Amino acid sequence: MSPNANVSLLLIFSSIAFALVLTLIPLPVWAAISRPAFFAATVAFWALMQPHRFGVISAWVCGLFLDASYGTPLGQHALALAIVTFVIARFKDFYWSIPLIQQSLTLLPVFALYEFILFWIDGVSGRAVDPLWRWLPVLSTTIVWPFWVLALERFATIEVQS
Amino acid sequence: MSPLFSKGPSTNFKIIAVLIISLGLMMIDQAQQAVQPVRSGIAAALQPLQLAAELPADAIDFFSKYIDRDELAAENRKLNQKVLLLRARLQKLAALEAENERIRGLLASSDSLDEDVLIAEILAISPDPYLHFMKLNKGSMDGVFPGQALIDANGIIGQVTEVNMMDSNAIMITDANHGIPVELNRTGLQTIAQGTGKTDKLLLPFLANNADVREGDLLVSSGLGGRYPAGYPVATVSAVSHQAGDEFLTVRAIPTASLNRGREALLVWTQHPAPPRAAEQAEAPESTVAQSTAKPTDKQTPEAAPPAGQ
Repeated sequence: MSPNANVSLLLIFSSIAFALVLTLIPLPVWAAISRPAFFAATVAFWALMQPHRFGVISAWVCGLFLDASYGTPLGQHALALAIVTFVIARFKDFYWSIPLIQQSLTLLPVFALYEFILFWIDGVSGRAVDPLWRWLPVLSTTIVWPFWVLALERFATIEVQS
Repeated sequence: MSPLFSKGPSTNFKIIAVLIISLGLMMIDQAQQAVQPVRSGIAAALQPLQLAAELPADAIDFFSKYIDRDELAAENRKLNQKVLLLRARLQKLAALEAENERIRGLLASSDSLDEDVLIAEILAISPDPYLHFMKLNKGSMDGVFPGQALIDANGIIGQVTEVNMMDSNAIMITDANHGIPVELNRTGLQTIAQGTGKTDKLLLPFLANNADVREGDLLVSSGLGGRYPAGYPVATVSAVSHQAGDEFLTVRAIPTASLNRGREALLVWTQHPAPPRAAEQAEAPESTVAQSTAKPTDKQTPEAAPPAGQ
């Protein structure tokens, strides 16, 4: 899918709603701590593919949804997602120019930044977290990224031919 | 494709604005209840998604019951036996309760044993594995209030922290930011049981070296602090150890309630002898269980006030 194609907001938000459902499905503890950040991956995807429609503000609003359903301080995930979107918007030319696997590897620091912001705000607001396991979603999100991108591109072909 | 507002603010400006708004929002959210309506509004709008997320597990549950007829029959038999057993116990309890009431009358004690309960279904356990919260299907329309105690068949689960119209959130006693005033059933010794963030472990950090506490001791809620009703089992002591040179014992306990298994919980209304509103207001700001990581203003940590004399 070319970044210049135009996808409707309805499609963007239905994919984000689906990612939110994936994030909320109850799982046993071992799976929950390593669950890929589907929501962040979806936001990152749209920030990368539709930069003119999906920017920092959209990502921030989406983050508020996540905060409300997680019960975290309102603004925590919102801030982390806005910063992720900002970084991706900065480097979008670079990300467009490389294949999917390399994209996934170079996005690892971005997802790590995302988890770090969450971790940091958890620490400041006095919530206990396990510092080691906290980084598992970074790895799992990186692994899932290429498949997730293919799935979302497939989904977007409802409206846009790739 | 040209953007809708070609002369809109730059990305740099946006990110700085978002940064400031987020930090402000989080600070307000931590300090007071001002953004609670916003949060409730978004949560209510996202309710269908929440239900959708619950659907796979519920469907598996439903169909497995549908298909496994034998299992259902066996369960039914077991439940019938249990009902019989509990009925037998209840007969004795009625007599005991009457006797207790009479003796209390002699002592001129005013507090009643009666407590109203309401069964609530547990809709979801917090998807964040580091938070021990649960969502219940009863809200302010059913008279649920913040601070209300939540129990199951075996003991105390936690307390309600956030009430929306149709549902509510409750913190479990094992959340790392939760503490509950308890007493040892055997000796009546008062202390506080703190959550650890693990569902099968509580810590009792304020027991002096010479405290009489043994493995297997039952901890019941003491009712101090006014949040939890007195006399419900909370945990059993699982390990007592002492580090040389340490002023306090290291005591661990296992919660008696099945915290991460059941689908139902009981909300308890206690008839408080003390005026409830005034007591509630006075105690809410001071969540002063000695805990270095938790800020006293943290709204997500409604710890009951520590018992006097600790």
